[in-house]
Parts: sequence; structure tokens; C-alpha cells
Amino acid sequence: MFNRDTWLEIANTVLSHPMRTALTGISIALGVFILVVMQGLGFGLQNGVKEQFADDAVNSIWVQSGRTQLSYRGNQANRRIQMRESDVEAMFNEMDTVHAYSRRIRIWGMQMESGDKAGNFPIRGVDPDHQMLENTKLSHGRYISQRDVDEATKVAVIGATLVEEIYDGENPVGTHLTIGGVLFRVVGSFDDPANRWENKMAYLPFSTAKKLFRAGNDKLDQIIIGTGDMPIAETTQLTDHLLTWFKERKSVHPDDQRGIWLENNNEEYERFQNIFIGIELFIWGIGLLTLLAGAVGVANILAIAVKERTKEIGVRKALGATSSSIVGLVVQESLTLMIVSGSLGLVLGVGLLEFVSPMIDHEYFKNPQVDFRIALLALGILALVGVLSGIGPALRAVSIRPVEALRDE
Amino acid sequence: MIKLMSIEKSYKTGSQQLKVLKGLDCHVREGEMVAIMGSSGSGKSTLLNILGLLDGFDNGEYVLSGESMAGLSERSAAKYRSRFLGFVFQSFNLIGFKTAMENVALPLYYQGVSRKERNVRAMEFLEKVGLTDWSEHLPNQLSGGQKQRVAIARALVGKPRVILADEPTGALDSTTSREVMSLLRELNGEGITMVVVTHENDIAELCDRIINLHDGQIVIDTVNV
Repeated sequence: MFNRDTWLEIANTVLSHPMRTALTGISIALGVFILVVMQGLGFGLQNGVKEQFADDAVNSIWVQSGRTQLSYRGNQANRRIQMRESDVEAMFNEMDTVHAYSRRIRIWGMQMESGDKAGNFPIRGVDPDHQMLENTKLSHGRYISQRDVDEATKVAVIGATLVEEIYDGENPVGTHLTIGGVLFRVVGSFDDPANRWENKMAYLPFSTAKKLFRAGNDKLDQIIIGTGDMPIAETTQLTDHLLTWFKERKSVHPDDQRGIWLENNNEEYERFQNIFIGIELFIWGIGLLTLLAGAVGVANILAIAVKERTKEIGVRKALGATSSSIVGLVVQESLTLMIVSGSLGLVLGVGLLEFVSPMIDHEYFKNPQVDFRIALLALGILALVGVLSGIGPALRAVSIRPVEALRDE
Repeated sequence: MIKLMSIEKSYKTGSQQLKVLKGLDCHVREGEMVAIMGSSGSGKSTLLNILGLLDGFDNGEYVLSGESMAGLSERSAAKYRSRFLGFVFQSFNLIGFKTAMENVALPLYYQGVSRKERNVRAMEFLEKVGLTDWSEHLPNQLSGGQKQRVAIARALVGKPRVILADEPTGALDSTTSREVMSLLRELNGEGITMVVVTHENDIAELCDRIINLHDGQIVIDTVNV
């Protein structure tokens, strides 16, 4: 099937029918091209939207405390509830799995200096998971590591506003920054366009911040728990359970709204997941419809082409060709045509996206790339359709008795 | 060379069985040139299909060059076709996008002959039919007689023992018809058995023997003097 002669025979047939070849080729190339471009645009939209709403797309529970509204168990109302590190340990016992967590403390207005530049900025003491939970995008260097927390190292990861004001926008990684009179090494910087407030922060290891700026006390401002891809029902259940448990532990009245409160963003999370699913369905819908249109076109042209060749097939048969060799020839021919023109469409589509991509800069539109595997899959499907739509008419053509096929003029 | 014994063949047309050949007996000796005549519907083309191994038969026995052709597989039928048989058609049936030489070389392609060898042999047979100078022409650049001569060269190139000609002169004027018939006659003289299906009496007269088909049976079998 794959010898040189067969290929020459195919080349001869394909090139002797420029019109037929061009029509089939163009419809395949166009199908793949449109598919690739639409997929690229769809993914661009998806990437843009994902980035805009990234902070809401992380499923998490935030535990915060305030002052009580109601008196309870001999405690007066308006009592301040304080979260402590011991609460975190105890809370973990109430949970089946902890996907991610971070303790958080914040200190306002720390004096920061590097070289001759200085300013006042807040700091946060955090755990490594905080990067994921707050959805922090690093611009340079690395984030706070577990080792930093374990050993209370003096390292800092600083926000874009700080980088701009203290470092004139230069890469700060490796430099030293004095925070509240203590020398820190800057190991990373970040830019969080969806949360400009965080850009003013310097993140320090939780343990370091606690030791240096909180005099070693175990008070926490917030606890953030990541719930991964836990379904909304389970997240709600967990939130309710933890709230009850916290109120009991801290002697807060069950109806109190302010002493302890837990926020979970799973409704937003679900809404954005639905938006992403919607966009994905849209992309696939368009892709499949394009593919279908292309496939129908290809099937049509091939069916006509084979019908047109009934006579030629009759002659070949009379001259000693077996039916299978004829079907093989037709199929191999259409497959070759598909692969060549499909690849052309693929290359053109990807090329266009590569060319256009750097020019597009919009909040809701980023990186319009196409998944190469999807494009190849589409090409494969078209080829399969081509083969199947060629086989039918070819089988019918070879089943016609040649003398009859050849007789009528 | 060709022996047919009680050949029966019927086709399904809707729910009905249409019996086309009803126990046909026929014997064509090696080197004979036989004309098959008959009105349309007499079973001529069915007989030709069966002789050409392009269609099977229901009952009876067909012996070609001493070998039984009953119940052949598709593959071996194609093999016998390319080894024993050559076809000449009324409407020439040259492949339009191939040159005269490529058309002549096509049967050799299906015999697995190398490209170089194919072209050499194709040219040899084009020379035999006097068309050496036309080898690079496409069929639509040739006259009717030239086309039929290319078709004859194509039928010969595989060195067949039998040539089956289906109305070989049906699309040609009388002068060209005579030329083509004398070419066939000449080839017959070299030992190739000829079976010519025709409805023209004067063409049939040029053969050794005339077989008349009517309603799926041989009604008259005359030897021309």
C-alpha cells in the first residue's frame, strides 16, 4: 500500500483533477482553519475572564472574629473574640482533610527602607498556601516557603506598589530591605492586578512576623482554609459545622452574628465555575459545528468525485485491479488530500493566532492560543469522515459490473 | 480455450428473479475468432461479464485455458483477468487524465511490473498499433480510431490469451471499423483468441464463427467460410 508506485499513481490522479482537488482541499483547510481560530479566540476569552476573576475562583473559607452582640454563658455582650494559634490546631481535628490553610496577621504602617528610598507600608505574616488562597501572581523570584516559616527566616515578598516606589520598578529580588528596623532579604515580588490593595503589602513568613512585630504572641487576625474542588454542598456543610464549633469553643451565642463569622465564597466560586463551563461549552459548540459543516462538505465532494469516477473504476477493474485495491486507492487518495490540506489549515490558523496574539491586549481577552492536541484531533476526525465518506461510494462503484458501467455512453 | 457448460445466471430485480442465461453451452477453441450476436436483452453482456470474470455465475462450469473458473474469489478473478484476458470496449474507456502511454501501461501496474519496464513495454505495443508518435497525447487529442487502437494496445500489453471485445467498432465509421477489425484479425493470426460482441452483420462476417444468442440460449452457431 505504501510503495512508490502507489504514491505516483495517487499524485497523478490528484494533480490531473485540479478543480476537484482544490475544492476538497479548500473545504478541509477552511474547516480546520476556522476551528483553530475560533478555538483560539474562545480560549483567549476564557483566559481573560479567568484572570479577571481569579481571586473569586479559589474555593476558600475565611474565619474572622470581632465583638459579640449577645451575652452568653455569663459573658457580657461586646466582648472581643480573639483567634489564636491553638484554635487552628483544634480546628484541624474537626475537618476530614485540609487542602490548604494559612494563618494571617497584619501590621499597618511599617517603615521600609532600601538605599535612599523609604516609605510606609503594611506587612502580612503568612503561610506558604497563602499564595494560592490569595491567588498571588509572582513577577520575580519565589514565595514564602515552609522552611521560611519553620526557621523564621528574614525574607520578604513584596507587592508591585512597593517595587514601584522603593525600587523604581526594578527587579528587587536579592536586595535587602529594612522593615521596622530589621534587615530582610527580598526573595520575590508580585503583582495582583485583581486586588490592588494587596500590592501595597510585604509578605513575611508568619513565624518571623509574629516573633519580630507581634512580640511572639499567638493572636491571629484571620484563618483561611482552602477547600480545593469540594462541591458546594460539602463546603456549606463544613462552613456551618466550623461556625457552630467555633462559637461553642469561644462561648459565643449561637445567634450571634459578629463575634465569629465565616465567609465562604463558594457561591461566587460556583458562579464563576459556571461562567467558565459556559465559555468552554461555547468553544466546543462552535468547534463541533464547524467540524460538522466541514465534514458534510468533504463527504459531499468525495461522494460526487467517486461517482464521477465510476467509469474509471470499471476500467481499472477490467484491467486487473482488485476491488480492494481500488477502494484502497480512493481512500488513500482522500486521506492524503485531507492530511495535506488539513495541515495547511492548521498551520495557517495557528500562524494567524500567533501573529494576532501580541496585538490584542484587553482585560477580558488574553493569550488566544489553541490546544494543539484539539487541532490534531479535529484533523483526525475530518480525515476519518473523509475516509468513511469515500468508502461508501467507492464500494458502490466497485460493485457495479464493469461491462455495464462502461457500456452506456 | 474457453469452455462453457450449462451456464445459468439470474439477477434479482426487486422481488423477481430474472433468469438471463439458461443453461448456455459454448466452446471456443484456441486461436479462434468468434462473434457473439443477439438483440438487446439476449444475454450478450451478461455472457461477456462472465467470460471476462467480472461477474460470477449461478450454475454450470467455465473452464478458461484448462482451469476452472467456478467460485473464484475476487482476488484470483482479478489475477486471472490480468493474466489471461484483455478487454476492448465500444467507447474505448481510456482514462482521460492519462496519456496514451500511461493508459497502455496501466494493466502492467496491476501486474506489479516496475515503472521503467511498464513504459518500455507500453511503447512496444503502441508501436505495434502504429501510434508511437502519439504516446504523450491525452485521449481527447486522439481520433476515434486512434483511441481504439490505444485501447487495443492496452488490451495486448499484458500478453493475454483471449481478447474480449465489446462492440469494438460501435463508435467508429465504416473505414475505421475495417481498420480496427483487420488489426484484431492480425493479432488473432498471432494466436490470440478473440471474442467479439457485435450487432453488425458485416463485422460478424469478418470472424471465423458467429454465435447467435436469443433469450439466454445459443440459437444459431455458424462457421463462416
